[in-house]
Amino acid sequence: MIGGIQMAALVGDTFRESLARKIFWGFLGCSTLLILFFLLALNIDIVEGAWAAVSIFGQETRRGLVNVDLLVRRVLGGVAAFLFTAGLFLAIFASAGLIPTVFEPGRIELLLSKPVSRSRILLGRYLGTLVVIGCNMFYLVLGVWTILGYKTHIWSFHFLLAAVLALFAFAVLLTVVLLVAVASGSGVLATMAAYFFLIMSPILAQHEKIAPLFRRQWSRDLMRWLYYLFPKIFDLGNMARLALEGRSLPSWTPLWSSGAFGAALLAAGLWVFDRKDY
Amino acid sequence: MPAAIETERLTKQFRSLWSGREVRAVDGISLQINPGVAFGLLGPNGSGKTTFVKLLLSVVRPTSGAARLFGRECQESAARLKTGYLPENHRFPTYHTGLGMLDFYAALSGMPAPERRKRAAELLEATGLANWADVRIGKYSKGMLQRLGLAQALMHRPALLILDEPTDGVDPVGRREIRQVLAALRQQGVTIFLNSHLLSEVELFCDEVAIISRGRVALAGKLAQLMAGSGYRVSAAGVPGAVSERLRQSALSVAVLDGVVDFRFADREGANRAIDLLRQSGSEIESVRHEQSTLEDVFVRAVQESTQEPRL
Repeated sequence: MIGGIQMAALVGDTFRESLARKIFWGFLGCSTLLILFFLLALNIDIVEGAWAAVSIFGQETRRGLVNVDLLVRRVLGGVAAFLFTAGLFLAIFASAGLIPTVFEPGRIELLLSKPVSRSRILLGRYLGTLVVIGCNMFYLVLGVWTILGYKTHIWSFHFLLAAVLALFAFAVLLTVVLLVAVASGSGVLATMAAYFFLIMSPILAQHEKIAPLFRRQWSRDLMRWLYYLFPKIFDLGNMARLALEGRSLPSWTPLWSSGAFGAALLAAGLWVFDRKDY
Repeated sequence: MPAAIETERLTKQFRSLWSGREVRAVDGISLQINPGVAFGLLGPNGSGKTTFVKLLLSVVRPTSGAARLFGRECQESAARLKTGYLPENHRFPTYHTGLGMLDFYAALSGMPAPERRKRAAELLEATGLANWADVRIGKYSKGMLQRLGLAQALMHRPALLILDEPTDGVDPVGRREIRQVLAALRQQGVTIFLNSHLLSEVELFCDEVAIISRGRVALAGKLAQLMAGSGYRVSAAGVPGAVSERLRQSALSVAVLDGVVDFRFADREGANRAIDLLRQSGSEIESVRHEQSTLEDVFVRAVQESTQEPRL
């Protein structure tokens, strides 16, 4: 009972802070613009069942009639790609400050003086940040999904899975922010660390092509190890794309290994926070 | 009933990661504060007062020793269920309104929502902030923030209140209001732990004090005993043993020098009763003096003596 009240208060407080910092509104504005584009600018006329004429801002595309199913998959694939690249980049940029602010002198002392465990304080902030970003991601995804479904009568439930995967990728990167923020107290350093993993991901995903280019065996091994160790954000995006295209997934490794990475960093963050003096 | 606060050889040593230099901020402090007592913690800047308070609240982890609140180890979060705290240099999140802030911190103490709403309204009224309840606290003055901080500490009806410089930045009228709130709490049996550099405030309000210097307790005890010099001194010759023994019970201290017995009393009534008894017993009164020692004298003396001691 008490734990539930405390957790709800911590999550609610994170949400309130994101509203006050205009983070939530900024995200909502971007998502709304994208939704409005699909609602107002993209016109799809179904001509012969599976074929459609597409116009953007009233201008017909040069391709003439296109396959509706393919069109929907491509558009949803584009939105999913946006979520895994610009979406994650923006989400980290906007939310990274929400965790380090808790450690500000004068604020942390009062939080720690309450009858709430340190791990709950940190998990409350972590979950609160996930709720803020999750609400925006699902607003965008559900908005686009509903509009395209209404216009084309094709309802691709795999697209919703893409949103879940994108939120999972964000949750993993947020553990990097959490650990670095707890250890250093610096929001900037925490953001840079999360970007490092985000940028390294597509590079390491090509390890099979890149590793043979290295001369020394140890550097080839290092690249392979780093691939297995680091979160596989790029591969998770690939999984979302394959799911959208209705293709079977070659491996679940990106999912569980990224999850293990996130769980390890979260545990490390909680451990450091539990022992830290303020 | 367990002590409200109990520490046993509590020690905190900070170590610089880069230089390896060690600083012992709190050095083996053992204190016991019983429920219902108004306790003042005094000490010069950098003496370890704030670290000691942080150790009690588990904001800082001890290097060795133990600290307990109402018999529970400080590290347990449940130990802080009955504790309210107003930190020095607090930085409340400015996106909250006064009401929102009270609600948030009370929720962290596990209070259910309907109770929080009722209690917040009561305390905003009591601290004179009822008209500001829905205003963001970024617009509050320092004094208003301090009063709101006090309300925050009282939301869950704590049995122990730890206040770090509670009247800092508050005008004289506000100070008196805070003192009145604290006096009412004291009458309700709430233990008050006051960390303040304002000696006059501690002198006005506290029953017991501890003066810490260089991380150690330089002096601790009942304020009246520590300020024994600030009472009345009655010196008499030829005092019968039975009378001397009887007066010893009400005197703060008794000293004998060259056949003259020197009694010290905390107040005028005690001195007058002693004079009556001495006259009845046929003793010769040598002198009666009113001593003007203050807490400041006691404080300065204690700190000077502690700094002269070599540190092991």
